Amino acid sequence: MSERDQTPRGHDCGEDVAPYVLGALTEAEHDAFLAHLETCAVCRDEVTALQSVVSALPAAVPQLSAPAEIKHRVMATVHGEAALRGTGEPAPGRRRMPRATLPAWRGLLAPAGVLAAVVLAVVLLTSGGSGGGTRVIRAEVTVPHAYVSVSLSGGHAELNLTRMPQSPPDHVYEVWVKRSGAPQPTDALFTVSSAGSATVGVPGSVAGVRQILVTAEPTGGSKVPTSTPVIVADLS
Amino acid sequence: MFNPLRSAGGEDSAARLRVLADEELMQLLYRGNAAAFEVIYDRHADAAFSLAYRMCGQRSLAEDVVQEAFLSLWRSGARYDRNRGSVRTWTLGIVHNRAIDALRRRTVRERGIVDGEGIEERLPARERTELEFARKDEAREIRDALEQLPDEQSRVIELAYFGGLTHVQIASMLDIPVGTIKGRMRLGLAKMRMALGDPAEVLP
Repeated sequence: MSERDQTPRGHDCGEDVAPYVLGALTEAEHDAFLAHLETCAVCRDEVTALQSVVSALPAAVPQLSAPAEIKHRVMATVHGEAALRGTGEPAPGRRRMPRATLPAWRGLLAPAGVLAAVVLAVVLLTSGGSGGGTRVIRAEVTVPHAYVSVSLSGGHAELNLTRMPQSPPDHVYEVWVKRSGAPQPTDALFTVSSAGSATVGVPGSVAGVRQILVTAEPTGGSKVPTSTPVIVADLS
Repeated sequence: MFNPLRSAGGEDSAARLRVLADEELMQLLYRGNAAAFEVIYDRHADAAFSLAYRMCGQRSLAEDVVQEAFLSLWRSGARYDRNRGSVRTWTLGIVHNRAIDALRRRTVRERGIVDGEGIEERLPARERTELEFARKDEAREIRDALEQLPDEQSRVIELAYFGGLTHVQIASMLDIPVGTIKGRMRLGLAKMRMALGDPAEVLP
């Protein structure tokens, strides 16, 4: 066995290369190993070598024809989003589909007595704020260790989330905008990656928008926020 | 000369798009070109569904996985980095991750995955191009490399990659120490690499 860094868990890091490339590490192990790769060239080389094998594995399965209905559904969504983009909506994109959920939110939310966790980013935008350049503002986050920033450019806003918990079971994050009165829902529903990160474009122009809210709502989204904010970004 | 970046759309340009390389199509896709996305979809949907079906063992779930994966590709095309592999590899990586997500939302009992077998529903692939024949050769080599491994090594690789199980779940299922599972994975992949002559990339 070669001389290598030790993982935070204290065993030979090379042992984690194979389960890493196979996608077989637990979420916590995966995150730790990613961090380890930043500093271990030996592991990076082995990952590259074994990844080439793993990338070839899909070719080994019996080849089937994808049912036509999948394409119909996918293209209907794609054409709809392309049309939105053509009318000045933000790049397709940044909206994401519901994916895996973890119970991490339960502990966070239990004290607040709510069922659905909410991320709230409050962005106060001044009129005429669509000038050149990009403004980045940090949001206040009540979730420990999470970080949320808001990038403002060309009259559009983009949320960047890191180290966020997964949305609760059967919930997704939803973006809201507030000009005056109650927050209005958008069609931006998303989840965060296994590492807790996400980049989400706020649909439409944010001209006149005073607040942008991101909540975790039941899958499919809600018409009104259903829980207490945990992140607030004040851009004033 | 045809400039896809200036293409206005229509059947003619759609036909022209089909001669472009995946990497060129990705540039158009990033600009929101739905026709370019459709070409990418047509080229890789069968492989994506095949992988999803192999992993999920259930047609409806595999369909959901493929749908989510391609919409993710459409919405995050800017993240594609050609230096890290082909579009096909990237696409199948998204499918794999989505399938793992789907599988891990379910209990082991619900999955019905206890080993590398169990997929009964087979649909004939329709594509029989020259590239497809080359892919079949490649597939045969990879299957051979996998089958030539000792059972204990191929089993953990299949349970991990196709079954979406973590090494901890596999260790529990097989009642074998975690360290042994990791060792078998590592040894098996290293042997496959030698057998395959260090495959740099799957065919585009």
